[in-house]
Amino acid sequence: MLGFLTARQAGVDDPLRLRRAESTRRVLGLKLNPDRDVDRIHGNGINTIDIEAVEGRYMLSGGADGVIVIYDLENYSRKLQYTCKAVCTVGRSSRYVHKFSVETVQWYPYDTGMFVSSSFDKTMKVWDTETLKPAEVFAFEGNVYSHHLSPIARKHSLIAVGTTDPKIQLCDLKSGSRIHVLQGHRAEILSVRWSPRYDHILATASADSKVKVWDVRRASGSLFTLDQHNGDKSKASSEAVNTAHNGRVNGLCFTGDGLYLLTTGTDDRMRLWNSATGENTLVNYGKVCNESRKRLQFTVSRGCSPEFVFVPCGSSVAVYALHTGELVTMLRGHYNNVDCCEFHPDYQELYTGGKDCNILAWVPAPRAPDVEEESTTANQAAADQSSVNPAFQDAWSSDED
Amino acid sequence: MNRKRPLISDAFKVKRFRNETQMFGAVSKGNGPTDIRSTLETLMTLFPRKLFNDSLPQIVIKHQLYSIHNDKTLVDKELNKLREQGELLMFQLGFDADAFGLVFASDYKAKVLAGEDGRATRATVEKFLEKLPSPCTELSFSKDKMLKEFRFTDSEITQLVKSGVLTVRDAGSWWLSIPNSGKFTKYFIQGRKAVLNMVKKSKYSEVLKTELEERRTTSHVKFQMKYHIHDIVGAELVESIPTTSGTLLRFVDS
Repeated sequence: MLGFLTARQAGVDDPLRLRRAESTRRVLGLKLNPDRDVDRIHGNGINTIDIEAVEGRYMLSGGADGVIVIYDLENYSRKLQYTCKAVCTVGRSSRYVHKFSVETVQWYPYDTGMFVSSSFDKTMKVWDTETLKPAEVFAFEGNVYSHHLSPIARKHSLIAVGTTDPKIQLCDLKSGSRIHVLQGHRAEILSVRWSPRYDHILATASADSKVKVWDVRRASGSLFTLDQHNGDKSKASSEAVNTAHNGRVNGLCFTGDGLYLLTTGTDDRMRLWNSATGENTLVNYGKVCNESRKRLQFTVSRGCSPEFVFVPCGSSVAVYALHTGELVTMLRGHYNNVDCCEFHPDYQELYTGGKDCNILAWVPAPRAPDVEEESTTANQAAADQSSVNPAFQDAWSSDED
Repeated sequence: MNRKRPLISDAFKVKRFRNETQMFGAVSKGNGPTDIRSTLETLMTLFPRKLFNDSLPQIVIKHQLYSIHNDKTLVDKELNKLREQGELLMFQLGFDADAFGLVFASDYKAKVLAGEDGRATRATVEKFLEKLPSPCTELSFSKDKMLKEFRFTDSEITQLVKSGVLTVRDAGSWWLSIPNSGKFTKYFIQGRKAVLNMVKKSKYSEVLKTELEERRTTSHVKFQMKYHIHDIVGAELVESIPTTSGTLLRFVDS
């Protein structure tokens, strides 16, 4: 680490290199920390979480009972032990709460004044955070599995919605219209995702084993359908179809730069695709257990040198290296199935929520002291039992315990 | 496995003076580019030739390699290279969408021709083997291809299916296959099921790999135990956990 710092100081290394190296080191050291906790508000499983893009301070979570909670992730108390408090909730007592489970929540990408939630009660609600009342309600004919707002769009404010209907609807936030429909899939749409690179590219995953990439400006159909065999018809079990997986495709995630797309399916496989050409990069992640009948929310790290994919696998989260496919580690801690996970890029933390009604925060392990200091710190360790940062420690108090 | 120390790559290792590097349990050997070939050859020796009276070439399943080498993507890349060089042939075995059989090309041609000795279909099979593109990267052939590129007639195609070199896949397309491999598939599935049951019935559904290798096999298991163990570990039907007494295989319930 000191080597990296001096290299950056001398101008030998690009400043980004130190940042990447340290981010990667922190991600490799993710584990449960007894000092960090998230307030337990949900009485039922947590289906979805989202951290706002602007400051990374507030986190939304949607539960299986229709409750939506907003947490404050920042630690302004000067103590190491911190519980992320719930700032406000849309509880069962609210008049506007969803009737059934909330499947997807997302902050408005530009500020925290608004967020959108969609649920199995066939509605999607656009909420005003201040008053916690829905400013707009879109009603659909089938259960809404997933929705997504483009994180970079300036020219449009479309929400792509995936429901049990094979048509993808694009709802416009500005006008409230829903006439734009994308047709092409043959079964329910389990996941939709806008590209973080281009504001007109949308990827959708469906239970008919296909993943289609669309350009919403075009009048005609999809740009291309992802094919797991890369056009090599000899490998597929039948000549006809271009499938991305051998089962339902229930998870979609773009990498941070939008160049690659990851898909997961119920055939227990995860595939990495080049998002520009639709080519399967054939990275072999092995068996990625997937039994979810709904959308699987998984995430990719941002800002690390080999990027990592965090996929919920049963009651633990599997961490894979993005481009080599090797399993780095399994994060175990939940008592029941993990449904969603979200990466906080600024602090390299991972938040996971599951059926055990807990949201766990995985925090990079703090650095161990150096060898030379071990003998001296062993003496101080006994006195240092209170986990107060020495900078805040009261110089008056006695060090004996 | 509980990792008490965080995983950090070499670039970030704090300078610690370690007394010795103590290796316990399973030690994985280094991976060089030519290792895949030698692994293939080692696995091929596990194949029981006598069981089939030498009529079948030695078959290795692709995921058996995953149990030996850690990096699956690298194994896939090396296998594709070998296939492009024309040394290796890959077959869709049929019982599992992901189970691919690997056979050395020379082995395959020799055995097929030996099997065709004295049969009426010999000439067609010879013609087919000659026509097979030398780096053959395809697992199946469509009718179009057979008629136009290879210039086979319908009756010749029927002869090829009869001799076992082609198996029906769809209306108008065929998988490349190994003649007489039905027996292999039957014994393989039987043996795999029996070995998995052995692991499942053990206490806590887990057993040490060395212990499993030493167990007496029932009459259902016709192949060598090691062949089956590589298969179930590579297909991730059992979890392979390194412990202080060696590798532990735990049944994966899914």
